[in-house]
Amino acid sequence: MIKVDRLTFSYSKNPFIQDMSFSVSEGEIFGFLGPSGAGKSTLQKILLGMLPNYQGSAVVNGTECKKHSSDFYESIGVDFEFSTMYEKLTARENLRFFSSLYHRQTQSIDELLQMVGLQNDAQKRVSEYSKGMKSRLNFVKALLHDPKLLFLDEPTSGLDPTNSRLMKDMILAEKSRGKTILLTTHNMQDATEICDRVAFIVGGQIFAMDSPHNLIMSRGAASVTYTWFDNGEQTASCLLEQISEDQQLQRLIRENRLQSIHSSEPTLNDIFMEITGRTLV
Amino acid sequence: MKTIRLSFLHMLKFVRQDKMLFAAMIAPLLAGIAIHFAVPVAEKELIRMTGMPAVLSPYYSLFDVFFASITPVMFCFIAAMVVLEEHDDHIDRYLFVTGLGRNGYFISHIVLPAIFAFLITVVLLPVFGLTSMSVAEILFLSLAGSLQGIIIALLIVTLSSNKLEGMAVTKLSSLMMLGAFVPYFVPVSLNLCASFLPSFWMGKAILDKEPVSMLLSVLASMGWIFIMKKKYDRKI
Repeated sequence: MIKVDRLTFSYSKNPFIQDMSFSVSEGEIFGFLGPSGAGKSTLQKILLGMLPNYQGSAVVNGTECKKHSSDFYESIGVDFEFSTMYEKLTARENLRFFSSLYHRQTQSIDELLQMVGLQNDAQKRVSEYSKGMKSRLNFVKALLHDPKLLFLDEPTSGLDPTNSRLMKDMILAEKSRGKTILLTTHNMQDATEICDRVAFIVGGQIFAMDSPHNLIMSRGAASVTYTWFDNGEQTASCLLEQISEDQQLQRLIRENRLQSIHSSEPTLNDIFMEITGRTLV
Repeated sequence: MKTIRLSFLHMLKFVRQDKMLFAAMIAPLLAGIAIHFAVPVAEKELIRMTGMPAVLSPYYSLFDVFFASITPVMFCFIAAMVVLEEHDDHIDRYLFVTGLGRNGYFISHIVLPAIFAFLITVVLLPVFGLTSMSVAEILFLSLAGSLQGIIIALLIVTLSSNKLEGMAVTKLSSLMMLGAFVPYFVPVSLNLCASFLPSFWMGKAILDKEPVSMLLSVLASMGWIFIMKKKYDRKI
């Protein structure tokens, strides 16, 4: 679906994206994780055919991005981070106008609005919508022409937990319908939850690329932390894979003196910091 | 083509909902009525008051040059305001990744309003003009005015970051029309100082009946549009 080979791009003399290669298979959710200015948005613009002056190759749906025709966008849906709606128009008027810009058969506006629970607000002006409602409307706008490939830019950014959960469920529902999804995010928790694979980008380079589970398991061993009482509360920890060698823990178990015990795996955020030496802020 | 047409029609719908932009749309008609009826009356009064044989009538053709610029400037000002608002609301970015695309957006939002202004000027100029012009002169003034409208729209969009700034830049950009006054009022030896302005060649073409000036006006406009389009592409 997407194949990028030795991609290099620059806004000035210094390369902004350097020798990047990756591919995304059909039906996959692929996440780009990186701090601001890492090159995620630039990469998205290249893949959307908006920045044609790159070196290397970037092929989307079998088309080299810099040579695309207007049909290119018939199979691509984009949900930008910010609302891209006419605030003075109603939700229905917005969707009706944007659906008219595609040649292919578009989905029913009523069904889409119902899907995101906005059927009763269809006649409201977008300026009267809350941030969560705007996000949901923006998302279904990207689905109007039932594209095969979805680009989602920070889809859960600024949403409360309920709307964030709703958004993630909608993304997973689109994946189950066979769509390929490429998303950029700062949110490691969301990436771990919904992405099949992620790539860590810093300074225009990919530092690591794998499934969140593999990245977590390959880099960081799970640890066990336990507490007991001995002249006040005491705490100790050991690696899960070396638990049988921890004599103190064995003794505390035998003596039934443990007050608490729990295991913890490193998060994707820990792995990101370990690999790139950066945080996602 | 369908997407360009729909985008243009959507822009007209958008303008209809904005009172200021809608007023700007009918301004050329009001200006035409004012020029056609008020200027001859003012001329009679001025002759009576000053006792001179003619006060304004030697400059009637300048009024026509000015009127030929009004419709395109107004229409392209409206277009620029819509572009700025859509840029503020990130809507342009979305439209670029639909079937409309970047080129379709430019055509529907800048070129089509200018073509529309050209057609309206071709109709209004013979109706409200103060001098009798040949068909070639009407077509030339309508074309040159429309090209100037595109330049002004591009100046507004590239030099402003929002609608408020856009209105201030519109006033500044409208100074481009003043080039038409130079052949009428400035000594010939200093004329060429304004030669970079397409409106200078518009005035000169009508005053001196010079076809070469018509060509130079179009060439000067093309040069401006070429430079400003590059700046527009960098910003939008």
